[in-house]
Amino acid sequence: MSDAILDEPVVETQFNYRRLYAAVATYGVLFFALGVILFPIFWMFSSSFKGQTELFARDMTLLPVVWTWENYYNVWFNTPFPRYFWNSFYIASVTTVITVGFAIYAAYAIARIRFRGRFLIGMILLSTQMFPHVTLVLPLFLIIRNLGLFNTHAALIIANVAFALPFAIWMLRGFFVSIPEELEDAAAIDGAGLMTTLHKIIVPLAGPGIAAIAMFTFIRSWNEFLFALVLLQSQSLRTLPLGLASFQEEYTYRWDLMMAGGSIVSLPVLFFFLLMQRFIVQGLLGGALKG
Amino acid sequence: MLQRQRARLAYYLVLPAMTLVVVLNLLPLLQGLVISMQSQNLIRPNPTGFVGFRHYVRALTQDVDFWSSAWHSVYFTACAVAGAYVLSLGLALLLNLDIKGRGLFRALFLIPWVVPDVVTALLWKWFYSDQWGFANFALVKLGLVGAAIPWLSDPKMAMPAVIIVQIWKLYPIMTVVLLAALQSVPKELIEAAKIDGAGPFQRFWYVTANFLRPTSMVIVLLACIWTFQSFDIIYLLTGGGPANATQTLPILVYVKAFWASQLGYASAIGVLILLILMVLGFLNLGLERALSRGRDAHV
Repeated sequence: MSDAILDEPVVETQFNYRRLYAAVATYGVLFFALGVILFPIFWMFSSSFKGQTELFARDMTLLPVVWTWENYYNVWFNTPFPRYFWNSFYIASVTTVITVGFAIYAAYAIARIRFRGRFLIGMILLSTQMFPHVTLVLPLFLIIRNLGLFNTHAALIIANVAFALPFAIWMLRGFFVSIPEELEDAAAIDGAGLMTTLHKIIVPLAGPGIAAIAMFTFIRSWNEFLFALVLLQSQSLRTLPLGLASFQEEYTYRWDLMMAGGSIVSLPVLFFFLLMQRFIVQGLLGGALKG
Repeated sequence: MLQRQRARLAYYLVLPAMTLVVVLNLLPLLQGLVISMQSQNLIRPNPTGFVGFRHYVRALTQDVDFWSSAWHSVYFTACAVAGAYVLSLGLALLLNLDIKGRGLFRALFLIPWVVPDVVTALLWKWFYSDQWGFANFALVKLGLVGAAIPWLSDPKMAMPAVIIVQIWKLYPIMTVVLLAALQSVPKELIEAAKIDGAGPFQRFWYVTANFLRPTSMVIVLLACIWTFQSFDIIYLLTGGGPANATQTLPILVYVKAFWASQLGYASAIGVLILLILMVLGFLNLGLERALSRGRDAHV
């Protein structure tokens, strides 16, 4: 050990100090940036545990002086919040099942089979990503109304599928392409048809990717606001984002309710995201952006 | 399996999903074009009367709201995307250094991106609040300002305030993409430049930047497209106010359609938004092509 230190040239030691300073500076800046950026979220969570008097006090403390679940109790038992929660959960679940179910087959065909029109399909999928939602929401509103579906959950599910599907197909295609083709050739030699190969080999292999896309679709639908705003009217049908937004008028200045509600809406999303972030990031980089 | 059989199977596999995509995306788009030339109004009869390009002419030549909203949109988009790009480039460069816990940092920096828009708006509204917001509390406490700033209710402050929120929402995805591009820079090239005596700034400018440019173009364009059409955050933070100070084109579409019931006119504005985004897209395509040609000539 001491030999090693003696053997080191002096220059190296100085260099190591420089590296140490650089590392400290890097971590310092990163932690500072993280602190500033995440502070508003921290503040929401912190506020959600403060009692009314503390929430509107002159002097603020970073953490509640007295921790209380009161706000969560109030938002869950004294507002229609649970109703919104289940509406959102139901709509997001159905949207996810439909989207992924359709996307798997289409993505597999686009990834693996050469056929006429494959390029055109890719173009359509990518270009739909560019359509502004405010441009589409008006005609969709009329179409939905003419179909007699205005103010139903079905309307919102249709709209959510419409915008999740192209993205899901394109991302899944990326995952399928990355699976070695030899595996399928081996299955084909063993006499498995294309569909058997897809169900028995490809889908299990792409499991994490499919899970990530399912999660992604779920989160998008869970967060969706504009279509819910336009397509729903009854209070009992509202989704969480719409319900929470309406708190601003219905419970003006009840920041206790809004902060607790906001925390409840965000928690599942944050949890699943941190769980799946590696796959989501991979999928985004591989599937959506590089094409 | 025969190639032709495989191809036929492909159509069966693709057809259901693509039917949905086309019916649910392209049909509304066409319908939108049709509506934009009709006298569609939610409270008047004869909704399908053909009016040609009258709505477009009205938007472009008579409606003061349209041009002020267009300017707000451009301003909002330019500032938010520029801000988010600078922030994300800085973070990506830092995260690309040889540090432990890069994955964890990357995940934590991504958090604002997953927070639902509605929650984003509410928590920032609480943060910005005149009397009870932390922003004012901290600024006054530190002696930086004398009195609380009415962030969202002052026409001068509202736009910067919503731009900050949009930057907050936008930078994470840009950071991830730029970091991925940085990690694709071959280490040997950097080492070679070092040996040739290039300092850190020269190494960045002459080596790294060349790898970043194409990715930056793509992500900046996407960020512009997302921001230009974004609705939720401004609608929920200010509703386009105060005194229309934050009314962007998407907000104008919503206001014209559902508050003024002028569905046809709103649709025309929607189509104009789409056209602007398409111009942006083509511009980027051309730039990218020119850039790659220039690079080939260089090499």
